[in-house]
Amino acid sequence: MSDCGCDKARRDLEEYLRNEVCKTEAKDIREHLENCPGCQDEALVARTLTDVVARACKETAPDELRDQVLSRLRAIQATH
Amino acid sequence: MTALLELDRTATAVPVVVDAPDVDWRAMNDTADAGPQAEPRAQFEEQALPFMDQLYAAAMRMTRNPADAADLVQETFVKAFGSWATFTQGTNLKAWLYRILTNTYINTYRKKQREPYQSAIDDLEDWQLGGAESTTASSARSAEAEAIDHMPASVVKDALQSIPEDFRMAVYLADVEGFAYQEIADIMKTPIGTVMSRLHRGRRLLRDLLSDYAKERGITAATGEKK
Repeated sequence: MSDCGCDKARRDLEEYLRNEVCKTEAKDIREHLENCPGCQDEALVARTLTDVVARACKETAPDELRDQVLSRLRAIQATH
Repeated sequence: MTALLELDRTATAVPVVVDAPDVDWRAMNDTADAGPQAEPRAQFEEQALPFMDQLYAAAMRMTRNPADAADLVQETFVKAFGSWATFTQGTNLKAWLYRILTNTYINTYRKKQREPYQSAIDDLEDWQLGGAESTTASSARSAEAEAIDHMPASVVKDALQSIPEDFRMAVYLADVEGFAYQEIADIMKTPIGTVMSRLHRGRRLLRDLLSDYAKERGITAATGEKK
């Protein structure tokens, strides 16, 4: 049961999806994922979570902030 | 004159020497109309200011309100400009700015908010934070992905806000900014193992919160009950 590859794939899935594992390990996990629907679903959930968080956190800085920063920078330079 | 300045701009934005291998950057600088101080500021504005939206988004997740987020971003740019001479061109500017943002936040805003310092949270065992292992049946997972995918942004932000701060920042830096583990370790000043642990646990908590929310809503919708 333990060497079907699920344990390893699950344990290192986050790192695999972020390209934080070495090439040989990535190859093992990729091959396991191709043949394991359970781990594929797990990977899908993990990727979806990343997408959803990234989407939800988009912000645009207010225009006033841009103006304030520019004038602060110019003021700093003027005092030098 | 104009041509010289434009050449300088190009060379700054793209770290490739264009046509002039022996160009003395400082000498060209001195020819600028506004004096020798003008060019570093122009360079800073050109390179650093495009990160304003991203820094503001991160600051919003840190401070939780627009006024403090704006102040934090402003302080970050002021400090970054003050240290601009120490930034090495060609290295990761985004990570450099995030480091300043994070330091500024920890040194000023976190104190102000009187939040309990969260680092002790790393010492908690997983069982104290809720299940580390997925208890979801395999067949239900694609449904889980689907449900998470349709989660309103406000719910995702609330969920993110409710998890411990160090977890939240690890998730933010990895998922929103796509920083590598080493970069996150540098920004948060923690070992990579701690980054991984915070990221995994933060995402586990987040996933459970969102799945629970979806489940609750699903049940409510199916039975027509109001909570």
